[in-house]
Amino acid sequence: MKDGNAASIHVEAIVELNTLLGPSQEGDAQALSRLTEILDELPELAKRVVDPAEQAMLSMVRIYAGDDPLLQEVLPRTLEAMKAELAGEYPSPLERLLVERVVATWFLLQYFEALYAQHRDELTMAQDYHHQNCLDRAQKRHLSAIRTLAQMRRLLKPTVAQVNIAEKQINLAGGEVPGISGQPHMRVG
Amino acid sequence: MSPWEKRERGGLYYTRSRKVDGRVEREYVGGGLLGQLAAQMDADKRRRREQAAAAWKAERENIQALEAPVAELCEAAEILARATLVAAGYRQHNRGEWRKRRGEHQEK
Repeated sequence: MKDGNAASIHVEAIVELNTLLGPSQEGDAQALSRLTEILDELPELAKRVVDPAEQAMLSMVRIYAGDDPLLQEVLPRTLEAMKAELAGEYPSPLERLLVERVVATWFLLQYFEALYAQHRDELTMAQDYHHQNCLDRAQKRHLSAIRTLAQMRRLLKPTVAQVNIAEKQINLAGGEVPGISGQPHMRVG
Repeated sequence: MSPWEKRERGGLYYTRSRKVDGRVEREYVGGGLLGQLAAQMDADKRRRREQAAAAWKAERENIQALEAPVAELCEAAEILARATLVAAGYRQHNRGEWRKRRGEHQEK
């Protein structure tokens, strides 16, 4: 499949998901079934959504780091470390996507703040206004990203099933909903 | 309209035009060396203004190119997160809180 074709398919899938949200919440079984069907492709959809944002982040890293070799080296590692820390040990595809979003919006905000600080004294009123708008948008996006990740973790926390095998209690954690479960969490107690 | 005006007794006269209260006002600067100097200064000023405008346009486009994929990621992630909640049996109450649909309460 050609890349452009795949990209348009993922956009179509997300647009379709958006239209299915309302009827599914109202109890339309057919819409809910189609919504679940699309969500089965969540890992691939997430990848298609994240790739362009990662490219943009790499561009920002290049501009942000400029000629400083230390920053060029450290920044991508810092971003990866942030993602790993936020994602935890066994992130589900949805969690991974939401973590990517938090880190991307955080870095965009840092980037805009640095850009504004750098040019602040030479901006016209219109340019200053434009930069302030960019900063406002970036801040809103970042807060919204954090809120959604926290909300997903709170509402979709894995249900724990207790199984006793060979006199040992094993707690299996993992949801049935597509895209929620990462690798099952196993805790032997 | 050329800023150089031809005088009746010969020679060229440099002028500046600007809009004041919707009307074009013409300022007569001078002819000869003075006119040429003023024309040169105005051309430099115009060039600097055009360069600044081009740089600002490039920066705006650059910001937009970096922001757009992150904005798309946000939009898509939000839709996928909502869809996942709906698939898990949640319903958004008045565009705010997400609640389990009736009969789908998790046992604690």
